[in-house]
Amino acid sequence: MEIALEAERLGKRYGRRWALQECSFQLPAGRIAGLVGPNGAGKSTLLHLAVGLLGPDAGTVRVFGRTPYDNPAVLPDVGFVAQDTPLYRDFTAAELVTITGRMNRRWDGALARERLAQLGIPPNLPVGRLSGGQRAQVALALALAKRPRLLLLDEPVASLDPLARREFLQSLMGSVAESGTTVLLSSHLLGDLERVCDHLVLLNASRVRLVGAVDELVAGHRQLVGPRHGGEAITGVGTVLRASHTGRQSTLLARVDGVVDPEWTVHDVTLEEVILAYLDEGETRTSHTEWEVPA
Amino acid sequence: MIALAWRQHRKQVLYTILGFAVLAALMVPIGISMRHTFSDLGLPECVRQLARSDVPQATAESCEGGFRQFGNRYGNLNLVAVLLLVLPMLLGLFWGAPLIAREVEQGTHRFAWTQGISRRRWALVKFGLAVAVTATAAVCYGLGMSWWVSPLTEAAREGRFGFIVFDLQGVAPIGYTLFAVALGIFAGTLGRRMLPAMTITLAGFIGVRAAVAVLARPHYQPARTAQYPVVGDDPLPRDRGDWILANGVRNADGTMVAPDAQIRCPPGVQKPGGGACGSELGVRPGAYNWELYQPADRFWLFQGIETGIFVALAALLLYLTLRQLRRIA
Repeated sequence: MEIALEAERLGKRYGRRWALQECSFQLPAGRIAGLVGPNGAGKSTLLHLAVGLLGPDAGTVRVFGRTPYDNPAVLPDVGFVAQDTPLYRDFTAAELVTITGRMNRRWDGALARERLAQLGIPPNLPVGRLSGGQRAQVALALALAKRPRLLLLDEPVASLDPLARREFLQSLMGSVAESGTTVLLSSHLLGDLERVCDHLVLLNASRVRLVGAVDELVAGHRQLVGPRHGGEAITGVGTVLRASHTGRQSTLLARVDGVVDPEWTVHDVTLEEVILAYLDEGETRTSHTEWEVPA
Repeated sequence: MIALAWRQHRKQVLYTILGFAVLAALMVPIGISMRHTFSDLGLPECVRQLARSDVPQATAESCEGGFRQFGNRYGNLNLVAVLLLVLPMLLGLFWGAPLIAREVEQGTHRFAWTQGISRRRWALVKFGLAVAVTATAAVCYGLGMSWWVSPLTEAAREGRFGFIVFDLQGVAPIGYTLFAVALGIFAGTLGRRMLPAMTITLAGFIGVRAAVAVLARPHYQPARTAQYPVVGDDPLPRDRGDWILANGVRNADGTMVAPDAQIRCPPGVQKPGGGACGSELGVRPGAYNWELYQPADRFWLFQGIETGIFVALAALLLYLTLRQLRRIA
């Protein structure tokens, strides 16, 4: 199995604060992976490290086996759409296609033009005057025209309305399905991710909390309802991520690793529930110490 | 990449050309009429005459009148010359500072740096364009100003070493411009926004220019000294465009008795109350006028040294920019 993106104890520091720490994971080629985490969790930092905009302060990151920082040889393999889809706002879409083509050795200008024509994007209007959704589509078309093997998207749909968001994700899925491109896509919008992703990387407070194929992650977690629970071990249950209690009964969200004690009723969970459980975890710890109050 | 740089900055190039065209349209007619007046008053001949040491008194006086007439008519144009002194700085503010700062501010560097070319190449092409445009502008400006300002300087009898005229003409403006632009580019990698970058450029440019002009320039070459006796028949030689760094009256043993002064007395003249000429200042017999100066013929040498310093600073700043760029994401 080819690994498209691999991080090994990757770390990045801004001043004294670690934006990303001890980050290790592998993203197999051909996957469409969601990169999830609250604001400031290090998502953009991870993407910038992967595309070589930043150099790591610890560990390594590899794109198809090569380190991307200060290494233009990696650039043709990686397509990148930065947050807020920055483009030269006074350029027209047609100009952007031509000029970006001059900056890339491998370039499929026809593909970009076809996509933009199909989406009904005016070629001769400055992209600054397009809607946010159209601009994101232009940025995506330019990234896809590189025919990248790895496509990194930093919150591409964050500023789009629901309709534009759906269109964007649909057109993204359509084109990467044909080409077999590996995608890593960061987003807050869990519902969108659930629709399009088959792999997940979850960051929280600058560390990787969860990584793996979506179906395995969903299959590996269960909601358990049973008698009031005091924290003792339960057969077939690994880590308990979240517990809520009423007078006589407890509801747990837990990682399961076998057949669960029949005392507990087992329910399936959605990806969203799993993600939320991990996002909850540890989020408040640092701020408690920073505010110098007991947790 | 050249296509990108050109597309991105072509409007700026156009505005720069337009700005210079407007400036030329204003300055060239003034310069031509100034030169007409200058030759109509017979002043070019005066300049030649006065450059010799033995000038007949009558010629000197009539020339003096001509210069004064010219000065009355055009003297206020010196103000225009002072205003034009800021032109290299403007190029630094509007070409240098936004070059990288605007990209980082709008995030477009992330787009450009993730295409197929290295950011070093991206930077060098952008530097190349900015330097080519502004250096061309600076050459036109420096040579144009040399032509424009020369009647004013000659009429003012100051030489070309004066603090404003030296900075305004010749090749020095090329050095200033390249420095201003490079400083602006570098400031963009520090401030990473247009406004801070422009502020750094403004402060840095004024600071370095002033420091070099005041502290370094007088020492580019060992200054010469000249001595003229206090007592003598002919008037003190008028300066012929030399750059006087210091002067004063010294006694025979070398002690300075009257700094920043010059005294000339015909032989045998006594003050009304008795006592030798200048005795109230402590001037004793054998005293002499002393002058520390850079001769006028060193103008181009000094221009070359000054330009060299600023071009070297510009190169250093561009090198630092390339290093700094690796740290921006």
